[in-house]
Amino acid sequence: MTARLAFAATAAVVALLSIDGQSHNLDEYLQAARLSLVRDRVALELDLTPGVAVAPGIIAIIDQDADAAISSEEARAYAQTVMSDVRLSLDGQAIGVKLDRVEVPSAADLRSGLGTIAIRASSSVDRLGGGRHSLQFKNDHRPGGAAYLINALAPDDPAIRVLSQARDPIQREGRIEYEIHSSSPARWFWLFAVVACFPRQVVAFVRKLRTARAT
Amino acid sequence: MVTRTWKLLIFAIVACGGIGTARSFQTPAPDGTARAVKAAEAFLSTLDERQRAKANLGLNEQTRIVWSNLPTGSKMQVGATERNGLKLGDMTPPQEKAALALLAATLSAEGYDKALAVVGADQVLEEQSAPKRAPTQAVRFGRGEYYLAILGKASTTEKWMMQFGGHHLAINVTFAGRQQVLAPTHTGTQPASYSITGKTIRPLGDENDKAFALVNALNPEQQKQAILDVQVRNLVLGPGTDGKTIQPEGVRASAFTGPQRTMLLDLAREWVGILGNEAAAAKMKDIEGSLPETYFAWAGPTTNGKGAYFRIQGPAVFIEYAPQGQGDNNTDHIHTIYREPANDYAAKAVER
Repeated sequence: MTARLAFAATAAVVALLSIDGQSHNLDEYLQAARLSLVRDRVALELDLTPGVAVAPGIIAIIDQDADAAISSEEARAYAQTVMSDVRLSLDGQAIGVKLDRVEVPSAADLRSGLGTIAIRASSSVDRLGGGRHSLQFKNDHRPGGAAYLINALAPDDPAIRVLSQARDPIQREGRIEYEIHSSSPARWFWLFAVVACFPRQVVAFVRKLRTARAT
Repeated sequence: MVTRTWKLLIFAIVACGGIGTARSFQTPAPDGTARAVKAAEAFLSTLDERQRAKANLGLNEQTRIVWSNLPTGSKMQVGATERNGLKLGDMTPPQEKAALALLAATLSAEGYDKALAVVGADQVLEEQSAPKRAPTQAVRFGRGEYYLAILGKASTTEKWMMQFGGHHLAINVTFAGRQQVLAPTHTGTQPASYSITGKTIRPLGDENDKAFALVNALNPEQQKQAILDVQVRNLVLGPGTDGKTIQPEGVRASAFTGPQRTMLLDLAREWVGILGNEAAAAKMKDIEGSLPETYFAWAGPTTNGKGAYFRIQGPAVFIEYAPQGQGDNNTDHIHTIYREPANDYAAKAVER
């Protein structure tokens, strides 16, 4: 009976490999990370796509009660495991990563090698001052057969400028160097707006300052 | 006096904005849009009421994002389980003819040939995989699994979309009066090369060859900047990542010689030129204008015949080309993406 089951399982995997496997990577666990930089927060987007040959192993880990359905609790528990394998540090100090949400496709979609597990996490940090900063990221989740991607998202804040991205050859580990300008275009905009809206008051204030300095 | 001047200034700004808004949709649409509208109406007229309800959907933020690289039977990155529209396999021959006529009216001749070459590759995949497929298997490949959808009402003045897609193909053209925007569009292929009646077809062969020619035309210093010393196994901003922008990497085209710039533009034209000629020419002008701020990045070997990833990224364009898999067998399965930063689905087009 066990031999029959094993044969059936092997046949099923071979069938999947011959169909879906032809069109997508079979034995890789693609783990694509995107990091966004904000002054008081680091956000991590991690998209995990197990290939058809590795999907059964991943499903077995996620589907803890083996009922062939992935509950939200099971999805969250798996995402927490992934988060515990991820290391983030800012300016040399390790920072904790909090899971914000996770979306896991059905077991059937994962099994076909076409499903992506989307994990969104973030880390609150003390508001960073101007100057140069360094964010390091390492993904130690299931390294056997993993294919990694790491990319910095372009910062929304014009005061933040990415200087460089360095990664190891397989993109398991990366470092993003960036700098924060203390005076951003947004600040100049508000300064201009204040001068434009209250010209008399600004002139009076400047005169007052000059007088105070002169005396 | 000051208050009066400010009021006048604000009025002038608002008035100019209003005039600009009205003008963008009142200017006569180029012939390409008019041709596509006519072909869309002709296609819809061949359908019965039930088919029309499936093929013609509203255009909104939920419908426009339903596209994928994945084959029929898979859950897409955005969560949908079926593409928008009506598939070729469910059309009668006259309906299919009208559907392809709409595609031809929207795309350039080269773009139309490229789209059908991708469809042809998937038909080859279907013929190889169908005999081995388990009856319970939902995933399907082949020509019959390509869907055509019209989102919104086809119009020379209002915003609407044409989507044509299936496995390895998602052509999303947004019409906004005089503007036509191709982004986001996905092309891919597997196999990368196949033969029909003795003729070899490489759906993305020119993209591959032109990219290798460009990277080999760079001097050692430029190559040092362009080549990322990493492996890149898939698209970074593939399906399901709308609205995201990654930090550019590689060598800036501002450092390129004239011939190198021409090669880069010619490479980008492989995607931009999918669109009808007038719209493609306008877009190429945008890309050329922002070339000094455009980057070219490469990962992998520089010998043509081997698999390598590349990216073109600038203010007007974002293109990725990513071979799938690893080892020597990664040249037969390709994914690509074409995006326009901040202008996917013609986001910059001014609404009336």
